[in-house]
Amino acid sequence: MRLTRTSSQVKPADKPSLGLNRRQFLKTAGLSAGGVAAASVLGTGMMRKARAEFIPHDAPVEVKKTICSHCAVGCGIYAHVQEGVWTHQEPAFDHPINSGGHCAKGAAVREVGHGDKRLKYPMKKEGGKWKRISWDEAINEVSAMALKIREESGPDSIFFMGSAKFSNEQAYLYRKFAAMWGTNNVDHSARICHSTTVAGVANTWGYGAQTNSINDMRNAKCMLFVGSNPSEAHPVAMQHILVGKERGAKVIVVDPRFTHTAAKADEYVHIRPGTDIPFIYGLLWHIFDNGWEDKQFIAERVYGMDKIREEVAKFPPEVVENVAGVPKDQMYRVAKTLADNRPGTIVWCMGGTQHHMGNSNTRSYCILQLALGNMGVSGGGTNIFRGHDNVQGATDFGLLFDTLPGYYGLKTGSWQHWCRVWDIDYEWAKSRFDQGTYLGQVPMNSTGIPCSRWQDGVLEDKDKIAQRDNIRMSFFWGQSVNTETRGPVVREALNKMDMVVVVDPYPTMAGVMPERQDGVILLPAATQFETYGSVSASNRSLQWRSKVIEPLFECKPDHEIMYLLAQKFGFEKEMFKHIKVNGTEPLIEDITREFNKGMWTVGYTGQSPERLKLHQENWGTFNVDTMEAAGGPCEGETYGLPWPCWGTPEMKHPGTQILYRTDREVRNGGGTFRARYGVEHDGVNILAEDSWSKGSAIEDGYPEFTDKMLKQLGWWDQLTPEEQVAAEGRNWKTDLSGGIQRVAIANNCIPFGNAKARCIVWTFPDDIPIHREPLYTPRRDLVPIYPTYEDRMVARLPTLYKSIQQQDFAKKFPLVLTSGRLVEYEGGGEETRSNPWLAQLQREMYVEINPQDADDRGIRDGDNVKLFSPDGATIEIKAMVTPRVIPGETFMPFHFAGVFEMKSLAGDYPPGTEPFVIGESANTAMTYGYDVVTQMQETKATLCQIAKA
Amino acid sequence: MAVMKFLCDTKRCIECNGCVTACSNSNSEALTFGTMRRRVVTLHDGEPGEASISVACMHCSDAPCKAVCPANCFYTTDDGIVLHNKETCIGCGYCFYACPFGAPQFPKKTAFGSRGKMDKCTYCAGGPVPDFSEEEQRLYGANRIAEGKLPLCAEMCSTKALLAGDAEVISSIYRARVAARSNPDTIWGYVPETGN
Amino acid sequence: MIRQCLHRLLLPLILCLLAVNPALASDEQQQQEAALMAQQQKVLAGEQQQLSQLQAQPQASDADLWRAVRAGDAGYTVAPGAESGRLINAVGQEGRLIRDQYVIPTLGAMLVGVFALFLLFYLINGPARLTKGFSGKMVRRWSSADMLLHWLMAISCLLLMITGLIIAWGRHALEGWMSADVWAGLIYGSKTLHDWTGPVFIVSWALCILKWMPLQMFKRYDFNWFMTAGGYVHFGPFKGKHPESGFANAGEKLWFWTLALFGLFISVTGVMLVLPDLVITRENSFVALIIHGFSAAILIGFTIVHIWMATALSEGGLESMVSGYCDENWAIQHHNIWYDEIKADGSLEYKT
Repeated sequence: MRLTRTSSQVKPADKPSLGLNRRQFLKTAGLSAGGVAAASVLGTGMMRKARAEFIPHDAPVEVKKTICSHCAVGCGIYAHVQEGVWTHQEPAFDHPINSGGHCAKGAAVREVGHGDKRLKYPMKKEGGKWKRISWDEAINEVSAMALKIREESGPDSIFFMGSAKFSNEQAYLYRKFAAMWGTNNVDHSARICHSTTVAGVANTWGYGAQTNSINDMRNAKCMLFVGSNPSEAHPVAMQHILVGKERGAKVIVVDPRFTHTAAKADEYVHIRPGTDIPFIYGLLWHIFDNGWEDKQFIAERVYGMDKIREEVAKFPPEVVENVAGVPKDQMYRVAKTLADNRPGTIVWCMGGTQHHMGNSNTRSYCILQLALGNMGVSGGGTNIFRGHDNVQGATDFGLLFDTLPGYYGLKTGSWQHWCRVWDIDYEWAKSRFDQGTYLGQVPMNSTGIPCSRWQDGVLEDKDKIAQRDNIRMSFFWGQSVNTETRGPVVREALNKMDMVVVVDPYPTMAGVMPERQDGVILLPAATQFETYGSVSASNRSLQWRSKVIEPLFECKPDHEIMYLLAQKFGFEKEMFKHIKVNGTEPLIEDITREFNKGMWTVGYTGQSPERLKLHQENWGTFNVDTMEAAGGPCEGETYGLPWPCWGTPEMKHPGTQILYRTDREVRNGGGTFRARYGVEHDGVNILAEDSWSKGSAIEDGYPEFTDKMLKQLGWWDQLTPEEQVAAEGRNWKTDLSGGIQRVAIANNCIPFGNAKARCIVWTFPDDIPIHREPLYTPRRDLVPIYPTYEDRMVARLPTLYKSIQQQDFAKKFPLVLTSGRLVEYEGGGEETRSNPWLAQLQREMYVEINPQDADDRGIRDGDNVKLFSPDGATIEIKAMVTPRVIPGETFMPFHFAGVFEMKSLAGDYPPGTEPFVIGESANTAMTYGYDVVTQMQETKATLCQIAKA
Repeated sequence: MAVMKFLCDTKRCIECNGCVTACSNSNSEALTFGTMRRRVVTLHDGEPGEASISVACMHCSDAPCKAVCPANCFYTTDDGIVLHNKETCIGCGYCFYACPFGAPQFPKKTAFGSRGKMDKCTYCAGGPVPDFSEEEQRLYGANRIAEGKLPLCAEMCSTKALLAGDAEVISSIYRARVAARSNPDTIWGYVPETGN
Repeated sequence: MIRQCLHRLLLPLILCLLAVNPALASDEQQQQEAALMAQQQKVLAGEQQQLSQLQAQPQASDADLWRAVRAGDAGYTVAPGAESGRLINAVGQEGRLIRDQYVIPTLGAMLVGVFALFLLFYLINGPARLTKGFSGKMVRRWSSADMLLHWLMAISCLLLMITGLIIAWGRHALEGWMSADVWAGLIYGSKTLHDWTGPVFIVSWALCILKWMPLQMFKRYDFNWFMTAGGYVHFGPFKGKHPESGFANAGEKLWFWTLALFGLFISVTGVMLVLPDLVITRENSFVALIIHGFSAAILIGFTIVHIWMATALSEGGLESMVSGYCDENWAIQHHNIWYDEIKADGSLEYKT
């Protein structure tokens, strides 16, 4: 008996059922285009009727293994698919990284298969209205405009914004796509995430990545978190961190905010935003003062520590207390804890990287670990947590303005290497680029325009930028522009371009924010659950994702869209020369095999699709503590073959879980610091002394391997005749046969050489980390002591430093402002705010403010407040009055968008795609400031004023 | 007979809300936007001593909701799970007043603003209709217990803070954890692990 | 805890008798509390700053934490809802015990007990007959508006009582006698009817109280009425007494004022319980539920008495609420002062 008629259960339209399933709807409505179109017009009311479609519990289940697409921890997922619908998500208890655990986002990924708010078909803005168009029309229109601009302004006038949401194969293909178009104006969100880490860390010891793994933190004795809040940003990492703590590790959290991670710590240290270097040097001051440094380690494996000592001497406890605000006794206590509990690891995230001297911050963290001798050991290392699910992979595949895949750079030799891998003529590739030089730079070999500054590439006077013309058209391929600072400028740039192309499963801010009547094209991309491929987690492990469901609606996977465009641009033959194309969809495995052939520098060569799939099938055989398989088909291998996985797949290198680890043979994942910067500096040897990895045939430091070196060592004959042919005139990075690597490893030598880590990076503006006050600093008294740089040209754009810092904003804008993550949302938040299971949790954009500041301004918890930015923007948000922040400091989450300077953009979304939650974007109010090396934006130390609205 | 319980380890809970969305995921067909059968509360938020706790229906042995319900729509399963019959529920709200944990919710409003049917955590055990039926899915959500699985919230807990299962089993897991914390040698051979 | 809440809730209820909106009072209280909290927070902020520099060790032990949780401390949560930040609120358990141990038995006692007592009394005493018999001349006692209001209130009130008793007692007394489906229908129907009849009762009750209040003021002679038990007792020292009374006798006045007071309680608490949008704390909800139940018990008791008096006990009593007219002899015997008054001022109106 039913006592309530169904009519009384109809929910209001703004509270749609969480159970609505798009696939089910499509089935009922028939797959006719008209049905789909009607659905968005009629809204959720009509779709609800489709719920009648019920998939019986006993319908056949296909179990697909995939990886969460939200953060770089890389959690495994079991997706149960019935009748083509993703009906259940089961915990992957056997997955070595997450053991079934998920944060709010990971536990909600199945909703992607519903896709309520997805972009459903290509759309175009015409006369201020959204109009549905066909894929053919869309591709034609986009390519015609691109070719016209190429004709008029050259290839550099198109900006290719990429994404960390690509699979490795798509990321690689996108970089190749931009290369064949003829530009280096390609970048992605790593620029505004860990670019300073990659630059700083790679220049210290070789690779700019997490050196150990999240699992390895279970073995640490001490963990120092600086500007990292894994409880919200990497919740599943906390599984390992808390186990480490329960096993006795000391946890120290350094953050301007008392975070949920701080709540789990043994010690919480508050530092003023932007004073990481004084804090680290303050610790080193105690370490050197008490002789706690690892003297043997420094002597054998570190170059330039003496120069650091001189700088550290300038940061005695009184100075640190004054600059960073950390009490003297606490500094001593923390330093002693680090010294007494080794091996210890350091973790940093955006709190450390997003500063205009972020590259120095990251180097200072490395130097601390070098001083303590914590590198290359289990439980130690720099555990740099990456953000997006494949930001590590996208970075490795050179989705960056300054390098080709594998950090080969943009030099002629690099181009020649990749042309050989791609089997194309170098001269042809060169001809694709703008010819000539601009402000002394050759386009093909010069750094492009970064993700953080494309808006300046559009708006800056074209005589001041190092390319022929401004950017006139941009692809926003999986990137939310609300993650970029200076919102009003971003909007102006979106307004000015000839065309804005958004390729994304959601319309994103780039499609919604421009105040234009036409010239916006939205192309619906498939999510990573609607395609397959490999993904690199933060710990450099590659994981294979299976396709869970077919692409919803008219969505197409990214690599297919690239193929369609390449066809129109006329280079599909060159681009897909060794990649099979089924219909219009390139074969993923062929792309994997192609990059296996070229990625020698970072050891992305051993991870063939077959090996990765084998790991996927055998999750359960990998030990959670060691990440190694004790037996089974992957015996002896580390889960996901973390790069460097040297040589060819046939060589069966087990992957390198812990970088620079000398207590293991290279063939078993051991290694040394990389010899990347020659053999001497200022006449001093910079190769390792009396230190080598276990079993090494060369028991001393040695440079990177080349054909000549093999000959000198007398190992040339160990190459096969075919390998000898391929290796002649090559080195370990360019020998496509892998012979040089194979022979080096056979002798337990690491192909990249055995050098010291360097504390001095002589190629950077600051050769050692030097503290510089944030551009918008509240401490005017410190500006003369710790001034910023002179204004200068960085990459292709003029960049301001001193001319901003010399203005006193602190009087009118007395509150320090930082930003950060919420656990429920991710990145720009378009996807997660469109997921009702997540959106219901955080419905309002807010700013955290201390009760004292709130009282002074008459603000109560939950009040509407106006936040004024020194750059001129004003946003209206809720106040959260909380002791998480101290008086004088404030914090905003950065995932919100859809309201711009107090005006809702709800009506500007294509019908039916407006996320469940919209709000002011934090970055509308964030200010100018870019890292001097990488153009990282400074979002973690600026100023604002807050008043009751 | 087993007595199914939840237990939240405050030293592990990080307020990631994974349990909350896992619940939405598991019971999506039965829930509307904003109805959360589980929630995470952080005490002393932003201060030393901060502790987060995930809470939902605790499936009390002597359940106050069951005692006050005028429609007598609650029942306790053999596994000690407190369930209710939405067909009999009259939406009076007494269970909401009586429950110490704030578990019962009334997501749907009737015509003049009074409560609709009560909704609460079912321990992923469905309701008093045939297992896995469409009706069960629509009214109560998942029935993982009938599949031999535990509630998804606990299974997906990011840090294994939320434990679900037989009271004796989960309390012994918790006891061992507490004993060994920061004293790895307290229990010979016991090393704190993720899952236990 | 629940006693404090009872006090807290009774205060606005009494205020509301004085035509003060109870919502205002609780608002004021909340504001005071918020102001106090803000003040405390400001003091704490200074300390907090120092604390944040210290070790992030809890200042209180785990035992203290759980004690605080048990005592109902609230924290931060993203879950919506007025009380979602509170982990444990033990009031429900206390309230449930009060309801189950006191309210529900009282309701039953009132229903069965009062009915039984009156039956016993009736059997011993017999009805109150008119000493002079019926005169046949009918005197106007109630206007048609009065009768409409009375019956509107009476019917809604009876429906509320029946449905309310089913809600309170049904699972103990009725559920076992019927199939699950019938029970589900019955209890759901009762709840729905109870919700929809409530507003009818509230409106008719309010009009009746306002309209009849002038006639219901206690007079000196009413004291006498009580001393002689209203003249209904036909044995012992009360036999043959006919106390004086006005339009309403003292017993009716007592009933009226009971209805006025407990009708108010039951209406206010009823509204609190039925509208979840009011966002009332669980403490207040349970207090409302208990007050609702006790008020119902009292009203049920009085109603039974009222019906007995009007029908069986008092000969010719029901007639006046049916036709609006009463027998002249009935008026003289039971309401002599009223009869004298209308006769004197000429407002006496016979049925033609």
